[in-house]
Amino acid sequence: MNKIIEVKHLKKNYGDKEVLKDINAVIEKGKVITVIGPSGSGKSTFLRCLNLLEKPTSGQVIFEGTELTDLKEEEMDQLRQKMGMVFQSFNLFPNMSVIENVKLAPMKVKGMSDQEAGDLAHELLAKVGLDDFADHTPASLSGGQQQRVAIARALAMQPDMMLFDEPTSALDPEMVGEVLKTMQDLAQTGMTMVVVTHEMGFARKVADEVWFMADGYLLEQGSPDQVFDHPQSDRAKDFLAKILEA
Amino acid sequence: MKKLIKIMTALLLLAGLFTAAIPAVDAASSKKVASGTVMKKIKKSGKLVVGMSADYPPLEFTKNVNGKNKYVGVDVELAKQIAKDLGVKLEIKNMDFDSLLVALETGKIDVIISGMTPTAERKKSIDFSKIYYAEKSDYFVINKTNKAKYTSTASFKGKTVGAQTGSLQYTSLKKNAAKSGIKFKGLAKISNLLMALKSGKVDAVLLGELNAKTYATNDTSLSLVKSSLSQAQMGNAVGVAKGQSDLVKAINKTINNCQKQDLFNKKYIPAAAKAMKQASSKTNNSMSKYASYFATGLGYTMIITICSITIGLVLGVIFALMRLSKNKLLHAIAVCYIEFLRGTPQMVQIMFVYFGVGMLIKNMPALAAGIIAIGLNSGAYVAEDIRSGINSVDKGQTEAARSLGLSQAKTYRYVVFPQALKNIWPALGNEFITLTKDSSLVSVIGVGELMYETGLVQTATYRGVMPLFITMCIYFVVTFILTRLLNYFERRMNLTSSRA
Repeated sequence: MNKIIEVKHLKKNYGDKEVLKDINAVIEKGKVITVIGPSGSGKSTFLRCLNLLEKPTSGQVIFEGTELTDLKEEEMDQLRQKMGMVFQSFNLFPNMSVIENVKLAPMKVKGMSDQEAGDLAHELLAKVGLDDFADHTPASLSGGQQQRVAIARALAMQPDMMLFDEPTSALDPEMVGEVLKTMQDLAQTGMTMVVVTHEMGFARKVADEVWFMADGYLLEQGSPDQVFDHPQSDRAKDFLAKILEA
Repeated sequence: MKKLIKIMTALLLLAGLFTAAIPAVDAASSKKVASGTVMKKIKKSGKLVVGMSADYPPLEFTKNVNGKNKYVGVDVELAKQIAKDLGVKLEIKNMDFDSLLVALETGKIDVIISGMTPTAERKKSIDFSKIYYAEKSDYFVINKTNKAKYTSTASFKGKTVGAQTGSLQYTSLKKNAAKSGIKFKGLAKISNLLMALKSGKVDAVLLGELNAKTYATNDTSLSLVKSSLSQAQMGNAVGVAKGQSDLVKAINKTINNCQKQDLFNKKYIPAAAKAMKQASSKTNNSMSKYASYFATGLGYTMIITICSITIGLVLGVIFALMRLSKNKLLHAIAVCYIEFLRGTPQMVQIMFVYFGVGMLIKNMPALAAGIIAIGLNSGAYVAEDIRSGINSVDKGQTEAARSLGLSQAKTYRYVVFPQALKNIWPALGNEFITLTKDSSLVSVIGVGELMYETGLVQTATYRGVMPLFITMCIYFVVTFILTRLLNYFERRMNLTSSRA
């Protein structure tokens, strides 16, 4: 068992509101975890605590043996290179072209040369099927294309783990498929992935583990079959009944 | 409860600031020119700096000689003589009459020769030479059309009379207000008073004898009524900072010589009258002769604007970043700077830098003081423009950049700032335009920008409205061109960022 992330008694409050109430979990290398649950359950907050975009109120997040909550800014910046993140609203940099978006971090953070970074960027864009669009601006791409560029951009830093925060929730239905395909290909390369999503089909087909969260607690953890077909908690049963009948 | 504590702390800090700051500033500003130092300074620098309010013909006024501005008048002749007798060059500094005392006390000028009467009030702050010339009485200047209406001092009862702020006439009106029933109004410039008279804002203007007679001679639409208001007719003397007895002695020596030879009546007054007559002749009155004044003024205006906006930009970036910083001290300093400079009037800031801060830095020229003050002020507004520009960039951009491993600094540099610039640009453009117009405020400390030069033209030509109109047009043309330029660059930026 090769632990890449361990979460111990993670709590997160916003003012008086308790969004995460004691989360305990382990993520193993190479696994694909999908996190499902109703809105407001704290799924996104949990994901963002993993790379410390949100600072936990208490508890520990241990990444590759290092406790993240104690680290200084500069040390955390370093570690974030090893964790890629893909956002619901893509967040591509509009003031640069597609290829420049992908090249930015490798050049400015890792110090890669323009040539090296360019080669890497073209390779990744080709992998997501968008090398022809290298010189386009993000604004000229469709949502699905933008998200695939965002995935390529995150991969350019060669991370050990990828975090996806509802990557297809803002997409038109026809484009969801292309992004999920990209993510599936990525999973098959052995990348460790944590995906917050409502796409149950993807969860069933691609995920190694499905985690169900509700009201700030992690209520169910298990294989897709276990969670979908034999949920333990009433809350999960309710949720799945509503989702799966649609 | 938390909020209450915050408010209490803020109030305490404010109280502390005032109780500490005010005595400190008081101590600093009472640091006047030291005894016996002015004569030394004059000899060392080889020049005598004379302060005057050159809008007072025939005592001190300006004349256009081949497009250049020359100071002429009775007092100017005296100044030349004093400088000659001291064996140094003469330098004249022109400023508002009621700025003269402060300028003298803070060492910006060596003496005041500006038709100033040595009143008891003034003697509290400065010393005077002996009287060099005494006028006999004051006069009410009225519109000729009202000649029949106003025949004596009594006929002004219940009317409004204007006078130059800080002048003897103003004090006289104030003192006699209750008894005479005359309402009074003060303005800084005589040309503005006369404009007020002509536009009916005041019914008369009270001026000293020489002054009144000069204006009436040169402007046939004016008429005079002798004033019988009680007035200590003491005559004019040269103002000197306290504790300079050697300088006073030297000046008195020159005055004695002049009076012995009756130079005032024989040379100085006739020369002034001649200069006035030339000035008021029709040909000399046309605006085209004064093109160079406006050009000089415009030049200084542009210099001030460009230098100030540069300072403003640099300070703006620094303080915006400080305000956004997580460091509590940096944040607090930035907030204080921004709030204070946005919360006090710019004119007050300019005068404070020149007269106040300028005390500690010897010989800070007015131009530098003006640029510094305006630059500081601009920095506060630019800081807020930049901060709001940065805040308006979507938070997701920062999150994406940080999650790639970019530090906060690199995120600002490569992702946030370039996007913020698009939002900031229109606001910065506005600031630039505003600065161009605000530069006119430094005219109060005597910087030769457009507004100041306009005042000179007004005095030299005895025309009030025309020079103002020309100046307004000039400002408009400048800001119009600037606006077009800024729009062009804004469009270019929008195009390049949405390459489709």
